Amino acid sequence: MAKEVKEIEIKSRADTLKPRPWPVTPPPSREEVAKVYAKRKAEEFGKWCEDNLWFQDSWSKPEALQGVRVLEVGLWRIGHKFAASLLAELGAEVIKVEPPEGDPMRQFTPFGREEYMLADKETGELCGLEFIHEMRNKYSITLNLDTPEGQKLYKGLAARADVIIEEYPPGYMDERGIGYRQLSKLNPRLVYCWIGILGQWGPEKDRVSKHGQWMLDPFAQAACSYIHNTGYPDDFLPRGSGGDPTRSGVWLCDYVAGEQAAVNILAALYYREEKSGRGQFIEVTGAEAMMDILDFDIAWYGFNESIKARTGSWDPNLNQYAWNPCKDGYMMIGGQTDRLWYRIGMCIERDLPQFGRLIHEDPFLKEVAARNALQALIKTYTLTAMWLRDTNRVEAEEKLLEYEIAAGPLLYIDEVCEFPHFVYRPWVYTIEDEHYGTLLYATPPDAFQMRTPARVKWLGRPLGKDNGEIYQKYFGIGPRMQEVLKEKGVI
Amino acid sequence: MADPREVRLEDLPGPKSREELEDMKAPYEEYCRKIFDVGNEFIKPGALEGVRWMSCTMYIFTPHAVANLGELGAEIIKIEFPRVADPMRHTSPFNECYFYPLHDTRPHSGTGIGVLNANVNEYYISLDYHREEAKEPFYRLVKMSDGLTECYRPGTFDRWKQSYRYLQEINPRFIYVWGGGFGYGPKAFGGSYDILGQSHAGLASITGFHEDFGGHPVKHTNWCIDWYSGTQITVAILAALYWRRKTGLGTMIEFSQVQAATRCCGYTVPLYGRFGIVRQRWGNWDTQLCVHGIIICGKSDYPNEKNPQLRNEARYVMVSAFNDADFKELCDVIKRKDLYEKYKTHKERVKAEAQVEIYKVLEEWAADKSRSEVVRILTEAGILAMPVKNDKEVYESEHFRQRGTVRWIDDPMFGDMVVQSTYSTGLFSETPRRKFWDFRPVGADNVKIYHELLGYPISTIKEWYEKNII
Amino acid sequence: MCDIIWCKKCNTVNYLDPYCFWNWEGKIKCADCGEVYYIYMIQGHMYKGPEPRPGEEPDILPLYADKPLDGYVNILPGTEGKTRPYNCTPRHIYLGKADHRKFSIRNRPMRAWAPQPPSAGIAGSQGYYWDIKKLSPEVWEEYQEKIKRGEVKDW
Repeated sequence: MAKEVKEIEIKSRADTLKPRPWPVTPPPSREEVAKVYAKRKAEEFGKWCEDNLWFQDSWSKPEALQGVRVLEVGLWRIGHKFAASLLAELGAEVIKVEPPEGDPMRQFTPFGREEYMLADKETGELCGLEFIHEMRNKYSITLNLDTPEGQKLYKGLAARADVIIEEYPPGYMDERGIGYRQLSKLNPRLVYCWIGILGQWGPEKDRVSKHGQWMLDPFAQAACSYIHNTGYPDDFLPRGSGGDPTRSGVWLCDYVAGEQAAVNILAALYYREEKSGRGQFIEVTGAEAMMDILDFDIAWYGFNESIKARTGSWDPNLNQYAWNPCKDGYMMIGGQTDRLWYRIGMCIERDLPQFGRLIHEDPFLKEVAARNALQALIKTYTLTAMWLRDTNRVEAEEKLLEYEIAAGPLLYIDEVCEFPHFVYRPWVYTIEDEHYGTLLYATPPDAFQMRTPARVKWLGRPLGKDNGEIYQKYFGIGPRMQEVLKEKGVI
Repeated sequence: MADPREVRLEDLPGPKSREELEDMKAPYEEYCRKIFDVGNEFIKPGALEGVRWMSCTMYIFTPHAVANLGELGAEIIKIEFPRVADPMRHTSPFNECYFYPLHDTRPHSGTGIGVLNANVNEYYISLDYHREEAKEPFYRLVKMSDGLTECYRPGTFDRWKQSYRYLQEINPRFIYVWGGGFGYGPKAFGGSYDILGQSHAGLASITGFHEDFGGHPVKHTNWCIDWYSGTQITVAILAALYWRRKTGLGTMIEFSQVQAATRCCGYTVPLYGRFGIVRQRWGNWDTQLCVHGIIICGKSDYPNEKNPQLRNEARYVMVSAFNDADFKELCDVIKRKDLYEKYKTHKERVKAEAQVEIYKVLEEWAADKSRSEVVRILTEAGILAMPVKNDKEVYESEHFRQRGTVRWIDDPMFGDMVVQSTYSTGLFSETPRRKFWDFRPVGADNVKIYHELLGYPISTIKEWYEKNII
Repeated sequence: MCDIIWCKKCNTVNYLDPYCFWNWEGKIKCADCGEVYYIYMIQGHMYKGPEPRPGEEPDILPLYADKPLDGYVNILPGTEGKTRPYNCTPRHIYLGKADHRKFSIRNRPMRAWAPQPPSAGIAGSQGYYWDIKKLSPEVWEEYQEKIKRGEVKDW
């Protein structure tokens, strides 16, 4: 789908700010990349991989979850959206059920800037990018779950669904008679997954404020000690200037909960098909799903009452394993085992002999585990940064890759989108949307498969766009009846 | 075919038994407790029992992709290089925390706590793939397994004649996963770690304090891109298993963890693509909601504790009041009605300048208060607020204890151990995940697998061990 | 120069970490001999200094220093009067080496010390049972004492 790159003529400073069509620089050709494989005597294997896993072939292959029907019903958060996206990318039919006024996340836009929202070409209705980006291969219907007719229709959908992914406050659905305990009676094969921040039960379950405001991530990040453990120590930077516990830039707990929900749902489907014939109830929370992957942090407290402290961009468990400032930004270098550790040293000492001397001579730094001590980190990274401050990111990457070191520059999103390897695969890609025009999106990491790759078929959906099709198909409710339901506030 | 004139109880709506009736009437919370039945996971089946998977993995990323299967009941065989073992066994925070030695031949070097939670419920064998003698047992295992996950540089397994090109011939049902940094393409041979994913794919560029505030991009505390990407591999594996039921065919999955980090950056990519705007860091606040951020309070909750993490750091609160009514309430509580008047609409208060002003006012208000005071005042006013908790508080949380997501186990090798994982990935009514054991010494199941499963005589196994083949 | 200060008076290398000192101006004291140096760093480069300022008050101490000519004898963070305390640590005690423990925080046996008695069978294989009474009788005894004293808890 790569298009010809239209160059923008630069006549004034304002022209330099105009976004150019992606990619600005075309990726290397397959022939050029074949030379890379050949260097490592993997020419044949590289070609085999490209022939069998090629991204652009995704759309010509079957879909793993074809025939799996999913209802996505939730607001505000990303957890349920991401879970449903993962299934939708793999071929499930996902119907997103929204209240008639829409998911509030449709209104999200950075710093309230409406100019960065996208207008539907027909209706002019604005929609935020955060929402559009997660609205992958999904149908959008509106349905008011607070009305009896709405609940009835919802039950009708649930009776024929394989999976429901729900993210409402605890007990919300149950109160309305459309929670798991009622729906599982209608449809015993239903796999029902609730996603939340802290839980739908327990002493600190999810709350809403007095005025009904939901809890959103980073509450989950705060609750599982993730935030406490992230950030620069105040020994390096003053508090208020980065020396504080720091949240993730994204709602990471939502994503982690979403993907674990997808795993749990697929395992439950597998079990249903292979063994039981029955569905089940699953609950996933952001705080706990993040705690699951919080390395060993809580277990460490049980070991000797250690409370993990923040260590900035240095990892306290491995050396080298950090990014440090360099001439034009930050450079990440990693290599812990002796083999890699000494190669990093060999690379750096070519330019900075002092590094070789002070690091390789030091008896204390010869043992792999001992290098994780705090003082070893200070010494290693101080000397590494001495090299980096004279080296820019590209140079550093080139030099380190010669030694087969895992190293890479810290990239901003424009650099990410133009990084040759990322463009080649591609990891961001464009899609022409009938409502919102050409969009750049992050491709599914599960897209590189021989038989059933994940793919994005469409992105973004105006609110209730699929009412007509879904209500006709599932209930035989035609356009005139839909108008009536709309007037009654049901859909 | 049932007789349509016959009325059967199970066809009628409503509860079918007294027990079911009580279930339908129980308060929701009680119903949840009952259906998830925390603490009794072992009386229920595992979802993936009968699936066997080979784990030729190291570090966290690919091991976690397999550990998810192990927690769900699959049988996992983890293969490590003899003596050398998974390098993750050498990782330990500040070199301070080690469990039982790698194996008997290295009694002085323990297994670093870094390896915890990444390879649970697995059988551990050792094998040196380089050796000619290793081929046969490896192929035998392939024939008896459903799939394999590996993390070596591209082409390495191919050179050893154990890539999918070869294995699909031996076992057409085989599902083969390669997980690594980059995959096919110009940087195919680039090595990768979690931290590379964080830095290389844009996530770090939007995490931390903006440089105008004196900040730098900050690393997520955990190996989040390893773990998070690993789970997405599990999604692909389970989908492939599901599809294999129809076709009987395996597949190959190539997964690049660096890419997975870009995937979770939300609006970052489309914003750049459409408008050319490069998203920057925004510290502890939120770019799309205000008030929705973390503030510092004047006093710690534990001023007299010895541990600096309690004494100095228990000072941060997550506050959220972005809806109009909540923001008004918040301004009332801190006695700054003028602030509400100034920023009545969300569109106004989410602007960068407004956020700078609002959070400054909040921190001034909290300057003479402790963390728990701030949380108490706000919670009593009906506003959402929560202390930024540390590991001790998470360990002591009654909530997680009741939900079984923090618990102790008596590990068969290592003894007493806190479990923060597995159970915390989700609660199940029918097929809960569970943890049998955490990790085991290198080659701890050599006899079990090579002898009992693959049928090699003990004398052969001894010989292989002496020759360092296993 | 660079972001170490190699004190020629006592041959000590003072390490200036790249986050605290990337852009920094002030005086810093050699961890060993106490000589005070003035430095002015911009983007990690020494714009001025290090120049000795004997007798002046330092603004800051280095975090870590060692002596390459004396077999890399080192001065750890938090050495009083020599290096700066590093406060953001997981416990009030910093070790930098393995913390050998026999009991978890609730006082139940935990295998976290070295060396351990060998216990593997054929080809390194291990059972699913830590035979504590046989392999570590002293830990077993200590455990019994702890039970008697009521120190063994559920959490």
